[in-house]
Amino acid sequence: MLKKIFQINNPKGVIGLNRRNIEFIYPHNQRKHYAMADDKVKTKMILHKNHIACARTYAVIERISQIKAIWASLQCQETLVLKPAKGCGGGGIKILRKNKDGQWQSSGRTLTDSQIFHHITSIISGLFSMASNDVCLIEECIVPHPFFAEIYDRGVPDFRIITLKEEPLMAMLRMPTSKSDGKANLHQKGVGIGVDMKNGTLTKVYNGKSYSDHHPDNITQVHGKRIPYWFTMLQLAKKTAKAFPLEYLGIDLVIDKVKGPQIMEVNVRPGLGIQLVNQCGLQSASQKTYKIKL
Amino acid sequence: MPKNNVRQQIKGQKNMLPRHIQFTTLAEGPNLRGHWLTEVENTYESVSYSFLFRGKGQIFGLPQNFKPYPSGMESYLVATKNIQATASQIKQLARNLKQGTSSDRETIQALFNYVHHIPSAPIITLTDALSALERNEASCNGKSRLLVALARSLGYPARIKGGIILKESNKRTSHAWTELFINGVWVPFDALNGHFAYLPANYLELYQGDAFLITHSPGIQFDYSYEINRQESLPMLNEEAEEVKKVTTFSLWGLVKNKSISKKNLFLLLMLPLGGLMVALLRNIVGIRTFGVFLPVLIAFSLLETGLVTGMALFLFLILFVGFITRPFDALGLLHTPKLVISLTLMVLVMALGNYLGISSGIAWLSSLTLFPTIILTISAERFSKLIVEDGFQKATGTLVQTLLAVGICFLLFSIKGLDAILILFPELLLLVISACMVLGRYVGLRWTELLRFKPLLNSKIA
Repeated sequence: MLKKIFQINNPKGVIGLNRRNIEFIYPHNQRKHYAMADDKVKTKMILHKNHIACARTYAVIERISQIKAIWASLQCQETLVLKPAKGCGGGGIKILRKNKDGQWQSSGRTLTDSQIFHHITSIISGLFSMASNDVCLIEECIVPHPFFAEIYDRGVPDFRIITLKEEPLMAMLRMPTSKSDGKANLHQKGVGIGVDMKNGTLTKVYNGKSYSDHHPDNITQVHGKRIPYWFTMLQLAKKTAKAFPLEYLGIDLVIDKVKGPQIMEVNVRPGLGIQLVNQCGLQSASQKTYKIKL
Repeated sequence: MPKNNVRQQIKGQKNMLPRHIQFTTLAEGPNLRGHWLTEVENTYESVSYSFLFRGKGQIFGLPQNFKPYPSGMESYLVATKNIQATASQIKQLARNLKQGTSSDRETIQALFNYVHHIPSAPIITLTDALSALERNEASCNGKSRLLVALARSLGYPARIKGGIILKESNKRTSHAWTELFINGVWVPFDALNGHFAYLPANYLELYQGDAFLITHSPGIQFDYSYEINRQESLPMLNEEAEEVKKVTTFSLWGLVKNKSISKKNLFLLLMLPLGGLMVALLRNIVGIRTFGVFLPVLIAFSLLETGLVTGMALFLFLILFVGFITRPFDALGLLHTPKLVISLTLMVLVMALGNYLGISSGIAWLSSLTLFPTIILTISAERFSKLIVEDGFQKATGTLVQTLLAVGICFLLFSIKGLDAILILFPELLLLVISACMVLGRYVGLRWTELLRFKPLLNSKIA
């Protein structure tokens, strides 16, 4: 009985939270370095310092008294994104765009300056970050590459690449669906699409229950679809992994229409669902070294 | 003097004797009398006699009809000065009560009921059977004599039994009840307190027969009191520190005996690590999600007061209710700590209101609300509403259900009989928790819930 419970058949080397923590996170990521990934402002400072492609940082607002002056200096921009530095689950992120009359709009609604100030104040007072205070990051708005729209044209999709000691282990593309309210997270009804690391092509679409060859809202087949800039993305992921003292990372990237691949975020505790998306365990992936020629 | 019998154990007798006093014991029939004697005149002395009593309640089943009594019982059937079994009123009453009964058992029940329903009164002078009947009020003395007299007049061997009802207090009152000889056994009946063929655990039996518990020589000043203190005991051992020492050299029993800490609090303290280990197993091996690590353990502790099912229901209700009524405050965008205080205040108000309603409408479970540690409840409610924001309602509810599962398992663990005694006697066993965690802390296998999650990858045969 005990043997049956503990000696389970695991041919694909799937890892669970216990093994992820003990063998991947604890020995490779030191807790004192977590803030570099958890705080988006710190992450961006490291990315900028190492000249790694990412959205330009327009401003960082730390105090409520700075809001007015900084906001005035941003009026030359056409689009921008407001983000809490320590936010979680995408809460508090607001994309702002100027309309023809020069008024700021967000998700189709026109916003007054005081509405925007109120949102920034909420971010700074920690409303979205489960902390007593936070910092508001204002950055360039990335325009997704048409590649994403060919699969599904709404929400914010991104690539996730897992790296161990600067080696990419596994990757997936996360896509929103009509049911996921713009979110690309697997547990929020988004879908994950597996990535063939060697060939830079997409594989199966996984919706949390079953696999298919196409996005649930689009009948066009994605299985085998070529990913633009794939090897640039791998290179970018390796460069990012090198820039951080953290050795086990989940790196999120997006492809800008003009500027190509950009780093969005870095995670110290990447989830394990990527194994299901790729139908492969991370244990096996870490044993096979891809040695991708760049 | 007290003696051991099947339902009472007497030990650790201590006799404090001043220099001038001699102590002897003398057997008086089945009883044992202690004598304190002095030759010295015109002094005041104080003597004390103490012992440890351990009793258990005893219930007797009565057959419908009794076997004839054996010979040698005559002395339990005669009339005496205070037990006037042959007086005409007594005989008449006994006959009347017997009429309409069809068995010995029913007859005894009728006699008992009659005496039990005589109004009780704290009469300190001697009340014999007849005057108890005539005055229609009596204390334990009068009632026990009347019941004996009634039984004897119908031919049932009966006697008075004397002792003390033990309650944690200082008192001067002793107690008397009745025993009837039924099928070879002396069966107790306390017509004052309504115990029919039953003797509670806290009755100290001291003597039999219509006698006084304490008598003294004429012409002396005399006063006395019974000091009764409760001693904590361990169910598995025979309570004494000496016996504990025989089994273990390092035990915490001394703390309980000295009343430095209550047995319950010590138990809770010692159970914390075990509960923690249980939660660790549930999280790392089974893979369930809980509110924090020690919260399920603490919730399980608070359920010990109310019982599992009521406690769980109350817990769920309070969490949902407070989560619901704090909603308007969430919308105000308040800072975390002041908001937590608001939740706590609302929780206290709800519990106070529950108590008020419980007491005014006599609903017991509502008035048990204060027993819930408020802070634990508030933190749980707060965790739950936070989780709803972070993970969505469905996942948060899942975590709540799994937390309740962990609470239930911890509760069962704490209800294991004898576990408290083992832990108090051998606290070093907790070192095993550390070693278990050293092993568990290195477990890298899949959690059971992950077996389910990764099922599509585990079932396939292709490596």
